[in-house]
Amino acid sequence: MKRLALAAALAAAPAFAHHVELLPPLDFVPPAPGSYVLHHIMPAPEGRVLGVDGRAAPLSRYTHGGITLLGFIYTTCSDPDGCPLAYRVFDALKEAIASRHELHGKVRFVTLSFDPARDTPEVMKSYAGSRALDKGNGLRWTFLTTRSARELMPLVEGFGQDVRVTRNGRELSHVLKVFLIDAGGDVREIYSSNFLHPQVVLNDIETLLAEER
Amino acid sequence: MRRLHCFALTTLALALSGPASADETCNSPYISKLIKGQEDYVYVWTLGVEGLGDGSDKLVTVDVNPKSKSYGKVISSVSTGTRAEAHHMGFTDDRRHIWAGGLSANTIWVFDIAGDPAKPKLVRTVSDLGDKSGFLGPHTYYALPGRMLVQALSNTKDKGGQTGMALYSNQGKFLDAKAMPTANGGDGYGYDLAVNPKKNVLLTSSFSGYANYMRPLGDLIKDAEAMKNFGNTMVVWDLKALKPQKVLSVPGAPLEIRWSLNQKDNWAITATALGSKLWLVKQDASGDWTAKDVGAIGDPSKIPLPVDISIRRDGKGLWVNTFMDGKTRYFDLSNPEAPKQTYEKVTGKQVNMISQSWDGKRVYITSSLLANWDKGGADNEQFIRGFAWNGKELAQKFEVDFNKEQLGRAHHMKLGSKALQAKAEGG
Repeated sequence: MKRLALAAALAAAPAFAHHVELLPPLDFVPPAPGSYVLHHIMPAPEGRVLGVDGRAAPLSRYTHGGITLLGFIYTTCSDPDGCPLAYRVFDALKEAIASRHELHGKVRFVTLSFDPARDTPEVMKSYAGSRALDKGNGLRWTFLTTRSARELMPLVEGFGQDVRVTRNGRELSHVLKVFLIDAGGDVREIYSSNFLHPQVVLNDIETLLAEER
Repeated sequence: MRRLHCFALTTLALALSGPASADETCNSPYISKLIKGQEDYVYVWTLGVEGLGDGSDKLVTVDVNPKSKSYGKVISSVSTGTRAEAHHMGFTDDRRHIWAGGLSANTIWVFDIAGDPAKPKLVRTVSDLGDKSGFLGPHTYYALPGRMLVQALSNTKDKGGQTGMALYSNQGKFLDAKAMPTANGGDGYGYDLAVNPKKNVLLTSSFSGYANYMRPLGDLIKDAEAMKNFGNTMVVWDLKALKPQKVLSVPGAPLEIRWSLNQKDNWAITATALGSKLWLVKQDASGDWTAKDVGAIGDPSKIPLPVDISIRRDGKGLWVNTFMDGKTRYFDLSNPEAPKQTYEKVTGKQVNMISQSWDGKRVYITSSLLANWDKGGADNEQFIRGFAWNGKELAQKFEVDFNKEQLGRAHHMKLGSKALQAKAEGG
């Protein structure tokens, strides 16, 4: 059983197991990779982004040519069910992918800030820390921001990632969404906190890879 | 540029919310922008009536904020310019749009409610459901992340009850179609659908096809053969894979499905229109899903015709509207295995949909079931009525007479808020 093999692989990755322990338990058995269809929901939107080196580039540079897992964050987020949850899932996935040679070079992560006013390239570089370094473990993790809200909003709205002001205009709220994008730049799955679990995402990545074979 | 000003504030505290846990309890758990306080508007999807106003289906906005000068008044009406048995509607997951459809055609109207929640704007139509899926009569609109899952009631081939679900992107692009199962006990009928994300479960119910629901009710009930053409099943699906897992026997046309939103609960409840029963769908200790008759609604022999239900946010209570006797009933659901009716009131000569605010203090009721099933003469009241609920008594606070206002037959409702308006700014 492929699912059992995957589970064994996950269990064999100590760091992954550690990260999974920190996550809410998955209360169902997800369908096996390749046994279902991931629909072409929409093309990932295009826009200008800034890398941690401050250089501008089209977002499509990071959403084409490989399987991309993209999530919006802001560096001051502290809600345990929000950005930190996404971070833990990304960390767990990174370790799982590192432990599986056949996935090396097939997947990348993109973390894009909601908050260009505070999350400058320098702040994002500090936030990324060692995560942004390619250690040859099979996965590149890119941290991006934008020059301004004017450049950010087409991306936020294009992805359907809602953000809104609450409480006297001094807070923003958003529903956690993470986007799985195929090599052609199409969004193929959108994870809310209910489905954002490394086992589910890994199955989806394998499902996309099976399409390419 | 919307909400641009948000990002200019350097002292913002940013918060993140999880899946939907507020607002109308029947909404998809993936919908954002929840209304936790006083709603400002009720959107009423309204069937057009020939000779009444422009005769077309329309989305009517009623001001329901008691502090407003126009409280209890119609403040907006957007006509579709046609009449297609307007029935149900649903928000997209970002709550920027309402998708609304009719049962006699395959057109879906998409209204923008973000630009000005007080004045919805018809922005596009989706009209390829029949061509792409073979289904007819889009009924339920259920938001998934970035997508809308549409449950149909019929099909274009014979207009019977064999039907299915269609999946669209929020942009209106057709993505997939799934037929209701006809194997392993499945009867192929469809009606409502509702998701339990933590269990990866999609639950569907079953009604009847165009040939029945477009027929005058008086004729239909005399036709024994036609009366056999109603659904008697619910289906448990793998949500992620959109594949049926188990067919449950629920005789008597199970309609609206409501999952308990209490995080400790793991069950859904429905009412059967023809059987006048409440049914509990629950996962047992072994992980198997089962359906159980947990009690009657009124006197089933008199066919009170339960139509809509509305569950309390804590899963401890359930409103049930019965069309024929015009009653609104309240059931104590403290033990969902044995619901107890604790209250009832005649709220109209015919009543159909019922919605409650998140705090349960306000209850809204409309009158129309189907154009050819509504009562005639003086019994054909058409309204939305707003009530206050203090836990013991429903007290009517306002009414909009849809006949008098030349609007049509008041059907499905969704709550709106001015706080959800997308703001335009500079900076």
